[in-house]
Amino acid sequence: MSDNPFPVDKAGLLEAYRMMKTIREFEERLHIDFAKGDIPGFVHLYAGEEAVATGIMMHLNDRDRIASTHRGHGHCISKGVDVHGMMAEIYGKETGSCLGRGGSMHIADLSKGMMGANGILGAGAPLICGAGLAAKFRGDGGVGITFFGDGAANQGMVLESMNLAAVWNLPVIFVCENNGYAEATSRDYGTAVKSYVDRGAGFGIPGVHADGTDFFAVYEVVGELIKRAREGGGPALLECEVIRFFGHFEGDAQTYKAKGENEYNRANRDCLKIFRAKVTEAGVISDAELDAIDGEVAELIEDSVASAKAAPLPSPKDLMSNVYVSY
Amino acid sequence: MTPSVGIIANPFSARDIRRVVADASGVQIAERANAVLRVLAGLYACGVRHAVMMPDRAGLMHHVLRGIARAGNQGLQRYPEVAPLDMPLFGTVEDTRTAAALMRAGGAGAIVALGGDGTHRAVISACAATPIAAISTGTNNAFAEQNEPTVVGLAVGLAVTGQLPAALAFRANKRLDAVIGGQTHIALVDIALVSDRHVGAKALWKPETFRELYVAFADPTLIGMSAIAGLIEPLSRRDAFGLQVIFAGEGRAARARLRAPIAPGLIAPIGVADWRRIAPGEAIVPRLEAGSLAFDGEREIAFSRKDKVSITLREGAFRSVDIAACMRAAATQGLLREDTPNEDAGDGPLLMAASASS
Amino acid sequence: MARKLSYKMAVNEALDLEMTRDPTVILMGEDIVGGAGSPGEDDAWGGVLGVTKGLFAKHGARVMDTPLSESAYIGAAIGAAACGMRPVAELMFIDFIGCCFDEIFNQAAKFRYMFGGKAETPVVIRAMIGAGYRAAAQHSQMLTPIVTHIPGLKVVCPSNAYDVKGLLIQSIRDNDPVIFCEHKNLYAHEVDVPLESYAIPFGEAAIPREGRDATIVTYGLMVHRSLEAAEKLAREGVDVEVIDLRTLSPMDWDTVIESVEKTGRLIAVDEAHPRCSIASDITAFVAQHAFRALKSAPQMVTAPHSPVPFSPTLEDIYIPSAETIAGAVKKTIIQKMVAA
Repeated sequence: MSDNPFPVDKAGLLEAYRMMKTIREFEERLHIDFAKGDIPGFVHLYAGEEAVATGIMMHLNDRDRIASTHRGHGHCISKGVDVHGMMAEIYGKETGSCLGRGGSMHIADLSKGMMGANGILGAGAPLICGAGLAAKFRGDGGVGITFFGDGAANQGMVLESMNLAAVWNLPVIFVCENNGYAEATSRDYGTAVKSYVDRGAGFGIPGVHADGTDFFAVYEVVGELIKRAREGGGPALLECEVIRFFGHFEGDAQTYKAKGENEYNRANRDCLKIFRAKVTEAGVISDAELDAIDGEVAELIEDSVASAKAAPLPSPKDLMSNVYVSY
Repeated sequence: MTPSVGIIANPFSARDIRRVVADASGVQIAERANAVLRVLAGLYACGVRHAVMMPDRAGLMHHVLRGIARAGNQGLQRYPEVAPLDMPLFGTVEDTRTAAALMRAGGAGAIVALGGDGTHRAVISACAATPIAAISTGTNNAFAEQNEPTVVGLAVGLAVTGQLPAALAFRANKRLDAVIGGQTHIALVDIALVSDRHVGAKALWKPETFRELYVAFADPTLIGMSAIAGLIEPLSRRDAFGLQVIFAGEGRAARARLRAPIAPGLIAPIGVADWRRIAPGEAIVPRLEAGSLAFDGEREIAFSRKDKVSITLREGAFRSVDIAACMRAAATQGLLREDTPNEDAGDGPLLMAASASS
Repeated sequence: MARKLSYKMAVNEALDLEMTRDPTVILMGEDIVGGAGSPGEDDAWGGVLGVTKGLFAKHGARVMDTPLSESAYIGAAIGAAACGMRPVAELMFIDFIGCCFDEIFNQAAKFRYMFGGKAETPVVIRAMIGAGYRAAAQHSQMLTPIVTHIPGLKVVCPSNAYDVKGLLIQSIRDNDPVIFCEHKNLYAHEVDVPLESYAIPFGEAAIPREGRDATIVTYGLMVHRSLEAAEKLAREGVDVEVIDLRTLSPMDWDTVIESVEKTGRLIAVDEAHPRCSIASDITAFVAQHAFRALKSAPQMVTAPHSPVPFSPTLEDIYIPSAETIAGAVKKTIIQKMVAA
């Protein structure tokens, strides 16, 4: 379409918006329902960081693999994991993506290339090296993307994995979603050198930065990294500065944040608002079209909650099922 | 009290996609902090006792303060006192502009700015008549001349403490203004018009998108967009005109084909359809109707047919510290030299004696 | 057709056969090629004790040296397994597992369950275990109880070359993560091993010696010490049955219980430390499930609750001996049961 100034066609832009909006709506809804006491366990919300997951996942297909974090809902949704299955999983139901055995922190769908949210910070990095190695042996052009935060960037396994990926020249991209807080501890306290991009230099892999509130910045940068990795150009490190709208986990009063920080970010650095402004100002998509998606997404999430609540709980007789493939 | 010097070090320069599409260098935060400490040591040696620094969210200033504290623990007095500016931080270029404006308002004698052309442009957009000393820690470093930070510190120190006259220490520079939608945006070296109608990753690395180029000066020893102009018609920072270049393509035949270093490690074939000198004050309306404007190598503003764009070269637009001139004067005037009185000087000139006896 | 083959070469042969059969089998580990990228021979070491020697020459890039970086490469092996490969990763000494606990315990062991049965992680982690090599506290441990404790892991610990070959082939074909423990003091031990490929199913203990009077349940190097003790006792008229567990997870409880029901006496022999060990596990299980069959209190023979010492005189007394085992057997026989 000649009037579209963006590197994504209109259908793609609508898809990206739907992805981001689905993540946002999913997380906002969990925030409310968790506070009501409807949801067991720990929940870590991705709201505010949607442009990163979406900007990356728009480049991937099912043969590409991702290894996610404890804050994994956004990665799951954008990688194509079924929203109904996810919601049911978070409610601990038998119809969940993982039959209610994993919960929020362990949603996976290997058929979609989603190797799991992960309760262990930084644990995705070695795993994705394995995914990259498998892709390399198969020669299928697949890439692996691992996510970690500014907290997990200090885990030895992340750094070891960067070295291994460089040594084996694996088609792997390390994505640091830097939201400024390792749980509650500011990166200003917990990291000696606060530039995570700098870690790449120590391993001879390029480190690049992208504004994680801008879908288009992430999309374009990642496109180059993925192309390079697919062609055998090796691993790379991407640091995206992002905003975590909520606390570390639900129930976190966030008193460590500055006064007005959340309000300012919601008003000025909301990746959904930024995306909407760009595409509507360019005249490519109308507000009405986006509003229609908002409505559909709201319905989807409402329906996912209703069906999760109505779904059966796992049967006690299945407590021991699936510990092993065969035993 | 000696005048204060402002320090702005951008933690985010040299981080873009050109580390992947080419082999651009990444300057690590710890290295940037070391460069600031070297500037501070130079300033202190010339009598500057107070500096203000832009805080940042990537820990650069934190490293600088840690370096100063460590020297303090060892009992060394090597740096001026450094005060962080009290300002909100957003982790964007707005931080740099805010810091430069506060430094100007606070009466800083000069601002030492470490970054790429984008950083220096942001400082100049907000510092008015306060002179800038630019140190390159970016990807495209066409504006900043290559100088060791220690020497920049010495030169700035001599200039702001009045040991050198302003007329010698500071020089006037050209710049380019682009007016779009009634707003003026500046470039220190070049404005490129490219066909990409979105900003995205900002960097320029796809020659097929290049349409027009305007340069304030064109140095063939540099890289980036200005290097293209530099390979056609070199222009110095002092020449009283600039250059307009129209790229080949879209039906325009190439008058010249160049191999130009458009980014570090990236030498691209470039077809040039035409070029001409432009005079200061001449408002030029570009031919490209929709695309984006890239200032000093970075896409900043997308524009469409509805937008009115004009580009003008300005003379004497801002002041910078002339490091080379300062250091030459320091040598000729003996500013960093102390001669021993004759009676204490031993047996006389060793080298002269040696050469006389040979 | 069979011929004498060492424990060490049985590992090599099993790896070779499976790599030849299945292109998704890859090997990785520290120095398993042993010279990659160096100016001399690429295949200089073939593993720190030469176990994988020759496999690089035959299978090339599918045999990979790794950086000394257990977290990264064990994690990569697990990740590759979850993506359709069958990696065999060598953790040179099981003592190094501390550097990759997370990858093994929190990742590999849990994927299947945590992801609702939708993941398979067919990875084998080979590691040397055991004392007696004068390798001191950080290169001599068993740690078999630690890995056996974790649901989701299978743990194999063969005592002879025949079992090594069959169990390693089974480990590679198995779709769960397997910790394959090789006792370094058995590498030179030889038995008859068939040339052809064969797999030994998990969870089936062997009974290298049948007997009526007492049951020794053990695994690994201790199988040999126990057999030695049994020979000695046979000369004194005591007929001891020796069970070689072969796999610790799954565990062949049936064979253990059947034997104790026959003999009425249990001696659990384990080279690991006594607390929460394989020996204590077996003793507890038998006490719970075959209490009425017991004629005397079960005995445990284990290494002491101390790190493995370096000095040879100390290390020699640290490792349970045939004499100690025989003494424990006698204790079960002369003991009088307290009236039930």
